[in-house]
Amino acid sequence: MNELAKLVFDGDADVVVVSITGEVDLSNAAEVTAAIVAAAPNEVAGVVVDLSGLSYLDSAGIRMLAELARRLDWRQQTLRVVAPEDSRARKVLTISGTEPVLLLDPTVEAARARVTGDA
Amino acid sequence: MWSARDALDMAVLAVVYLVAARLGLRLSLVERNITPLWPPTGIALVAFLRYGRRLWPGVAVGAFLVNLPISSVTVAAVTAVGNTAAPMLASWLLDRVGFRHTIDRVRDVAALVGLAALASMTVSATIGSLALLASSAIEADTFWAAWSVWWAGDAMGILVVAPFLLAIVTWHDVAPRLGWRNLPEAIVLFATLVIASVLSVTGAGPILFVLPPLVGWVAWRFQLRGAAPAVLVASAIVTWAAVHATGWFQDLSLFTSMLTLQLFNATIAFTAFFLSALVSERMRSREALEHAADELEERVQRRTAELRRSERELAEAQDVARIGRWEWDLTTDVVIWSAQMYRIHGFQPDAFPVTFDRSIEQVSDVDRRRIDRAVAEALAERRETLPELEYRIVRPDGDERILVGSGRMSFADDGTPTRMVGVVQDITERREFDRQHMIAETLQHALLPHDLPSIHGFALASRYIPAESGFRAGGDWYDVIPVAEGRTALVIGDVAGHGLAAASVMGQLRMAVRAYALEGGSPEQVVGRSDDLLHSVAPDDLATMLYAEIEDDGRHATMVSAGHPPPLIVGHDGARYLELTPAPPLGMSEHWTYVPQEVPLDPESTIVLYTDGLIDRRGVPIDEGMRRLLEAARTGHLDPPERLVQRLADVLEPSEVSDDVALIAMQALPVDAKAFSMRVLAEPRELASVRRALTRWLRTAGIPPDDADDLVLAAGEACSNAIKHAYGPADGSVQIRGTIRDGSVEIVVRDFGRWRPSRGQLGGRGLAIIEGVTSEVTIDRDGGGTTVIMRKPVRGSVTA
Repeated sequence: MNELAKLVFDGDADVVVVSITGEVDLSNAAEVTAAIVAAAPNEVAGVVVDLSGLSYLDSAGIRMLAELARRLDWRQQTLRVVAPEDSRARKVLTISGTEPVLLLDPTVEAARARVTGDA
Repeated sequence: MWSARDALDMAVLAVVYLVAARLGLRLSLVERNITPLWPPTGIALVAFLRYGRRLWPGVAVGAFLVNLPISSVTVAAVTAVGNTAAPMLASWLLDRVGFRHTIDRVRDVAALVGLAALASMTVSATIGSLALLASSAIEADTFWAAWSVWWAGDAMGILVVAPFLLAIVTWHDVAPRLGWRNLPEAIVLFATLVIASVLSVTGAGPILFVLPPLVGWVAWRFQLRGAAPAVLVASAIVTWAAVHATGWFQDLSLFTSMLTLQLFNATIAFTAFFLSALVSERMRSREALEHAADELEERVQRRTAELRRSERELAEAQDVARIGRWEWDLTTDVVIWSAQMYRIHGFQPDAFPVTFDRSIEQVSDVDRRRIDRAVAEALAERRETLPELEYRIVRPDGDERILVGSGRMSFADDGTPTRMVGVVQDITERREFDRQHMIAETLQHALLPHDLPSIHGFALASRYIPAESGFRAGGDWYDVIPVAEGRTALVIGDVAGHGLAAASVMGQLRMAVRAYALEGGSPEQVVGRSDDLLHSVAPDDLATMLYAEIEDDGRHATMVSAGHPPPLIVGHDGARYLELTPAPPLGMSEHWTYVPQEVPLDPESTIVLYTDGLIDRRGVPIDEGMRRLLEAARTGHLDPPERLVQRLADVLEPSEVSDDVALIAMQALPVDAKAFSMRVLAEPRELASVRRALTRWLRTAGIPPDDADDLVLAAGEACSNAIKHAYGPADGSVQIRGTIRDGSVEIVVRDFGRWRPSRGQLGGRGLAIIEGVTSEVTIDRDGGGTTVIMRKPVRGSVTA
């Protein structure tokens, strides 16, 4: 993975939380996707991707999120995306029209609660 | 003219002259003022020689007073003139020829006799005799007789009295010193001389001839110090006898008596003084010879000591260099090993007698065959040198050593080999060192960035100079890290020590700093965490580090120094060191709180970071090193970083490079607020630098951050699309231009490739995003490529 983005993994037996900081673009989107998929074992109910600390996201990142959602869906796992209203990521998701297709939460706590609640 | 001291001297001289003259007149033969021995002349000469001719009035007065009672005032005055002028002339002539008062050379004796006694005294004899003639004291027919007696008397005064006085005044100037042990001999000799003199003149026969050998003996034993008194004593006694016509002289006529006396005096004076001078000369040359011999002896001893020392030093050097020496007598098969040779093989010196077979017993089988073969070939082909061979031995304790040996063969006259000598060096440690050094150097090379990243709006340059042509790989490093959101971290560090250990600590530290920086840590956090890391991975190591985070506008930096030399700031107005708050190096003080310092930068100034090898050089004080570096920076303050870095590196003389040197410089290039232009390779990894450069331009142009973010997003989408669709596997490029006009920012992204319709065009999400953040999008496509023009009105736009 190149140095534009940094991933921090957290979570428990039920949910994996990935915080992405830095930038996601065409150069690292595929790697970020692969890293998140690899970090989410079969047992967990879902994955929370926290974009609140991301400083740049563009269509490559959106494609990443879509890809991630699809692959987790194969395993009946949920993807929830944390993108606060005023965040850069939220704006891009809104503009690109992706907002309705993704499950968005304002905070990590809310997202985790939804994952475990859904399970 | 004359001092009081001179007046006193003259008075004393006059009195002495007078007394001596009264004594001399007792010996007068003709009238009452011509004597065969006139001591005052000798006194006057010695006075002039020793104390200067300016004392002449003393002599003149003395001579006048001597003659006054026996002649008229006029005669006395004229005589005094002659008696003063003669010794004056004599002393002048002697001074001219370099006469030595010690009369220890034959030429001194010759000068005294010829110039002083014979030549000069004609003056006093002539003047005095003429005065007597004029005053009718003598008749014309006796003039020459008077003249010759006067002349002879004065000459004898010089010959007999002057050397005696000179021997006294130079007594302590002459070597060898005479001591009490010489006294008995002197007494015996002088007693004999006196007795012989008295006997010779009182005896019936002409036995004066026994005196010269006696005087000669004294002269031989004591040189001038014996000869002068001996001559004086003998002459005085014989002269007294002649004047009183006693003994042998009693029946002689005045003329015969006079002639005999003068001949006798002249003979013993010549004999004594020539002999004395000869002996003196001989003694001097013997001394010179002895001195030379002593010196030679001393030199020989010194050389011998030097040889022994260098022999010892050679042995010591062989010890230190682990060089053993061997010698193999081919006729007896006796091998002689040096002490070091035994030690190399793991034995005490001289532990056992060696033969050729024994000497290669410890060599491994493979190597032994090589040695055997090399020796056999050398013997068969009668080669003078044995090839250098590297081989392994096993010591008795099982330790394996790597040795390298070489040798030389000697032959008898018929060409048969007789002897081989050679040296063996233990190179085990050197091999190990070489291996480690190679690893360290490789590591160092691998760990430093190969190419500096290209950061739009900045120029970068760096150097790494290894110490002493790569002898030691060090722990110096630098890095350039594009950290998030328009900032670049410039970092330099120096791990104390050299070699593998330092290089590996350096590698870990560099990677850690990079990771901490990319995680978004603030400068003080990055440095603090690096400190923690060093404490845990290498608790004994120390490292200095300077971390500088530079805003993309190039106007502002945040720096943290951990014991590192101060950065240089080079700008239009010259160069200066940036004073940072001192803080300890990493690994020194656990949990130290490093404090960041905000540093405003002038536009287009260059930050130079370096390691201490650049200022702390061999034989140069550190202040002087810093002064020289600053001077070089001032000279090159207008240079672009590449040339500046070279100029600063050139400050180092090769001989002064005692440590590695790392050097990195970064200059903020001027930003044109009105227009932006950039061309990058059509590769995904270039996207980040495009965003960074564009952000910097928009910020400089005063575009509000939200609008700027939107424009960067739009440009990013357009570039991503060009990268994805415009080109095949071959490289292409993408050009990005920006202008601000009529309250709008216009960004144009152009590629030069052919769109691949099957893979799609700018559309879908990308286009949706561009359209979402800009007000107007135009896409032009032609044979030369595609141009995407995006426009967005901005609030409070500053540039028309």
